[in-house]
Amino acid sequence: MIMPRSSDQLLLPVNPLFVWFTLLLAFAMNLVPLGRNPAMPDFMALVLVFWNVHQPRRVGVGLAFVFGLMMDVHDGAVLGQHALAYTLLSFFAITIHRRLRWFTVPSQAVQILPLFGAAHAVSFIVRMVAGGMLPGWELLLAPVFEALLWPPVTWMLLAPQRRAPDPDENRPL
Amino acid sequence: VVTPLGTLDRTPPPFFRQGPSALTKLTFCSALAVFLMVADTRFKLTQPLRTVVATALNPVERVLRVPVDAWNGASDYLMGLQNALTQEAAARALLAKQAERASRVEQLQNENKRLRALLDLRPAITVRTQPAEVLYEASDPFSRRVIIDRGSTQGITVASPVMNEAGVLGQVTRVYPLSAEVTLLTDKDAAIPVLNTRTQGRSAAYGTATGSGMELRFMAGNADVQPGDVLHTSGVDGIYPPGIAVAKVLSVDRKVDTGFAKVSLQPLAPADGIRHVLVLEPLSLQMPPRPDLPAEEVVLRKKGARK
Repeated sequence: MIMPRSSDQLLLPVNPLFVWFTLLLAFAMNLVPLGRNPAMPDFMALVLVFWNVHQPRRVGVGLAFVFGLMMDVHDGAVLGQHALAYTLLSFFAITIHRRLRWFTVPSQAVQILPLFGAAHAVSFIVRMVAGGMLPGWELLLAPVFEALLWPPVTWMLLAPQRRAPDPDENRPL
Repeated sequence: VVTPLGTLDRTPPPFFRQGPSALTKLTFCSALAVFLMVADTRFKLTQPLRTVVATALNPVERVLRVPVDAWNGASDYLMGLQNALTQEAAARALLAKQAERASRVEQLQNENKRLRALLDLRPAITVRTQPAEVLYEASDPFSRRVIIDRGSTQGITVASPVMNEAGVLGQVTRVYPLSAEVTLLTDKDAAIPVLNTRTQGRSAAYGTATGSGMELRFMAGNADVQPGDVLHTSGVDGIYPPGIAVAKVLSVDRKVDTGFAKVSLQPLAPADGIRHVLVLEPLSLQMPPRPDLPAEEVVLRKKGARK
């Protein structure tokens, strides 16, 4: 099996409970009441794309749709707005997942930036058609922040899979 | 190097039972999302689905407010004495300013009641109110909404006006069992009939597309509106009780070519950072029922039926 060059280390199998835990944590982070800020990065989209890229067989389009629907109800947005954006995001993340893992993490962030931009653009178009208000130029910063968060999120979410397979007293983790 | 068992993901990808392809799922989910949008915006069919999800999320939302409250509480703890002293001084100044008016209210109310009796007018409606707390501001940048912690179980109904001590904030637009969604006056879709206290002229105030304040629409180019005028609710809509402060006129731009004046308003109640609000009952619930038919007509019809 050809392994992507960027992964210099064989990863342990992922724990499904950890995947669920991080997805729910990201959803909770989106729910924290920090006020209305168009530039706020969407943690749910970020973690969804991450697992779409790294575990496409576990986290797919259907899950993204369900989380999007819950975000819509929480935000009081048009029902289906986040659901559509997350569905498209998830599909294109799964489409590019084989290619993306051959790159280094910073180049991955650059490649994922248009994806996040497109997701916000879908939300924007849906709301303009439905008669929403203009959100302000700060909305353009949200995908940039999401792409900037890609390296730290990759490091954190892959950390459990980087543990030593045979822990001893010198390598407790 | 021999890797121990269980360190690599050894389950091979299934060859045949892969389920529907990603493209199929994409088509299905996108179609469902578009259907939901149409059902939500055009046909208003999605309230049951919203209610279920909102009720399920409600405890999580309440728990997640705790760390934010704790953070605010920590800064209160450090600056507590200073804040309390300044707030007390401000409150005392306000109280002194209001004392004269407050002492005259009782007398004026009695006088008003006697005058109304003298003129044989219907007694003025007293509005039932309910205090509520803002649960969170909806983070949706395309609208201006807040969620309050009272819902249909506490008797909140759709279209109830919401205000705080400064003036009208908005109107309840969606009700869930344990929470309710309030559309603020600065939202694009918000509209409120107002009365200029200086000229007693009626007009309608609307939210703007950019969310910066409000505007008076359809005002003639020579309309008597001046910067600094205070607008109150007029009470003609059967929802807002009359006489609650709404907004102040910021600027009047009289354009020659359009024939209309562009009147920008500033809501008196700040839209951001509010915590405690008062939910009023819509006036229409207390209005006497609309008479069905005049009595003579009913009598005539009965006679006609006998024949």
